[in-house]
Amino acid sequence: MDILTQAEILLRDAQYETWTWTASTGPVTCFESAALMGFVHVFDSAEALIDGWKASQQLALARHSASLRGAGTKAWNVYSVFLTGGRAPSRSREIERIEEDFSLTRKIARASISIQDDVEKALLPLLSIRSKPLLGASNFESRLRSRLKDIPSDAVTAFLNDTPAAEVARILGATS
Amino acid sequence: MRLDFIEVCGFRGFRDKVRVDFGRGFTVITGRNGVGKSTLCDAVEFAITGSIDKYSVEKAAKESLNDYLWWRGEGTPKAHFVTASFIDDAGKPFMITRTREAGSDRSPEEIQAALCSGPVPDDALKQLTRTSIIRDEWIAALSLDLSETERFDLVRAALGALEGSGAGGRAKEVVVAAEAAHSRDEAAYEAARSRLADRLAQQSETQAALSRSGDVSEALRTISAAIPDAPIELTARLAAGRNALASVRAKLSRMGEAVQLGREIAARQATFNAPEAAAAREAASAALEAARRAKEAADRVITEAEQRLAREEEADAIAASLTLLVEHGERLGLHDDHCPLCAAHRTSDEFAAGLAAARRRIASLSSGVQDARAALAAARDQARQPALDLERAEAEVAAHANEERSLRAQEAAHVDFYTQWNLDHRFIGDPDGLEHEIATERDRSINLERALLVLDASQAVSRMSSIESEISALRDEIERLANAVSQSQGAVTAAREIERSVKRVSAEVIDERLAQISPLLNELYQRLRPHADWRTIEYSIRGDVRRFLSLKVGNGLNPQFVFSSGQRRAAGLAFLLSVHLARAWTPLRSLLLDDPVQHIDDFRALHLVEVLAALRLDGRQIICAVEDPALADLLCRRLVSTSTEGGRRFDIDINPLGATGVVNEEEIPPLPVGVLRNAAGLQVVSGT
Repeated sequence: MDILTQAEILLRDAQYETWTWTASTGPVTCFESAALMGFVHVFDSAEALIDGWKASQQLALARHSASLRGAGTKAWNVYSVFLTGGRAPSRSREIERIEEDFSLTRKIARASISIQDDVEKALLPLLSIRSKPLLGASNFESRLRSRLKDIPSDAVTAFLNDTPAAEVARILGATS
Repeated sequence: MRLDFIEVCGFRGFRDKVRVDFGRGFTVITGRNGVGKSTLCDAVEFAITGSIDKYSVEKAAKESLNDYLWWRGEGTPKAHFVTASFIDDAGKPFMITRTREAGSDRSPEEIQAALCSGPVPDDALKQLTRTSIIRDEWIAALSLDLSETERFDLVRAALGALEGSGAGGRAKEVVVAAEAAHSRDEAAYEAARSRLADRLAQQSETQAALSRSGDVSEALRTISAAIPDAPIELTARLAAGRNALASVRAKLSRMGEAVQLGREIAARQATFNAPEAAAAREAASAALEAARRAKEAADRVITEAEQRLAREEEADAIAASLTLLVEHGERLGLHDDHCPLCAAHRTSDEFAAGLAAARRRIASLSSGVQDARAALAAARDQARQPALDLERAEAEVAAHANEERSLRAQEAAHVDFYTQWNLDHRFIGDPDGLEHEIATERDRSINLERALLVLDASQAVSRMSSIESEISALRDEIERLANAVSQSQGAVTAAREIERSVKRVSAEVIDERLAQISPLLNELYQRLRPHADWRTIEYSIRGDVRRFLSLKVGNGLNPQFVFSSGQRRAAGLAFLLSVHLARAWTPLRSLLLDDPVQHIDDFRALHLVEVLAALRLDGRQIICAVEDPALADLLCRRLVSTSTEGGRRFDIDINPLGATGVVNEEEIPPLPVGVLRNAAGLQVVSGT
């Protein structure tokens, strides 16, 4: 999976403008929306990420330093995203600790990115709410009718039509 | 629909009028502790519901929150009111004003109609404020700290009224109605069985009566003979017969008494009239006569002795006078030969002889008194015995007379008894005859009683056929009622089946809905990342009747017990935000957060800001009160402000006059776009 491409797809879906430039360390995807902007850096391995994230961040900031200086408060909303498909369970915590470094940019650092869902989870802070519960009609009546096959259908109909309880009971067989 | 502005005056800590115009996109309110940030959330809630739900203690020291709704500090507000204004997407406003004096200018129905739509949950306005205003106090309490059933109810309420949500109650009513009908059928069935048991017992008794039946015509003759004027109708005749029988029994009892009395009198008469008794009475009369004569003779002797004594005593008195005269004469002696007493000429001898003669005479006169007294005493002694004899004889004769009087009185009473009880006078002196009559009468009463029994039995025949037909009808009725019981039992079973199915389908619908919002909870949880290791959270629903919603992290762990307070708050926020977002029954797109970052570290506070920014991207209006100005700055940068949905920031504080007011109000403009694209801003950098 091309992590950068998947990241661009997701970011564009989320109304970001994205483009890529190639730094000496490799391709960097830039993104920007009305509120945010930032850079996605992809590393070959977890070790490369741990060793290279600072340099990559510095490189991107240096390249855009003039623009950022003129961006006012938006300059505070810069994200540096460091991703790698490399697996390093023993170092995953170390990688995530990168996110707690608040200097210069807000950071997102993840290893073991192998599918699109991993990319999406990593980029969640940049995206709008993904889960939209679709609470449609529940077909309560038809489901209830299906459950009550052994009950006379006229009684079920009467019950569902808000017929008075005593009348429903009478239809069910209570004669008194 | 979103909040447009809130205006308060004299409410809680706001003495003077303060108005906050909310940004359509977001509003950040900042201020120190106690300046009234929370009061603005309170005001929104109060405007919508008329109360404030955040205090768990409703009353303390006889005061309630209601006593503290309005300004109680120094100075007098110009007015006491809260106004909340909402505006829909078309720009149409909806305003609610509550004043201390007049209450709300909108009815709850009007407010609900404006702020809710579709199938709303019960107590919709309360649910609306609960799920729209996330308060510091409630973040943990309304999420992780809730009991599992309360948590289930909160989520279910947030989902709104579901299709068929009223079906559960109706099914219960049908069960109750079917059970009531079944109970009535059973009661009727039991009552019929009880009546049948009674009739069967009557049948047995009647059967026993029938076994005593005999010749009815003979019995009728007997009754006619006994009661010649008895009525023709059988029942009346039976009644007359029973009355007659009772009278005969009473008369027989009296006749028995009369026999007893007659026999007593006869015995006394026999005794009284016996020859020995008559001789004794004659002897007593003769003895009385003799005693009376003896007594009279003795009395005569006494009379004579008394007369003699009288005479002797008279003579004795003369002798005493003479003695005085003689003694006087002697003392005087002869005077010139003349008697000093009679002046006659006497000699001394003659005088002495006269005196001697006188003395002799005196002696003879006085000597008879003693004899007479002795004679009288003797006579009286003699009369004592005849008196005693007479007394005894008189007593004996009186005793005989008394006995006769008593006998005659008893005889008269006997006659009166016969008269009183209408007995035949022929038998007054004939107890044997009366006894014979009693035997005859008893025979007649026995015959009468037997005749009555026979007639009773003859009545039993007709009664029997009535009882048998009644028993037959009752058996038919019991059969019918048993069928009804069986049918109504079936109806109860069917009603319960309906109720069970309604519950199951409702539970399935809810479970499905919860399953549908589960990814939302998980996404929010992942965004807020309360815990480094446990990256997901799961809903777990249990129970059929009582429903439980538990939250699990990691390998089935309860976050309530494994999370720190900051982590619990972060997880709680994820839960409350998922509930907020799952609401489909309100057009209100405002989310109010009252100091949501207490106890949360900077890293997680940043996550929360990012979540709120994501909600902003969905077009929600975010209103957030925070204490930290730096956090307010972050919020103002991260929550997107656009030309149509701008942001605002309010700094509130207490002014020098002691009243809370807005000290700074700032529009947050949209951020510049195309910053990184600006080629002019690109620098050539080396990759080293």
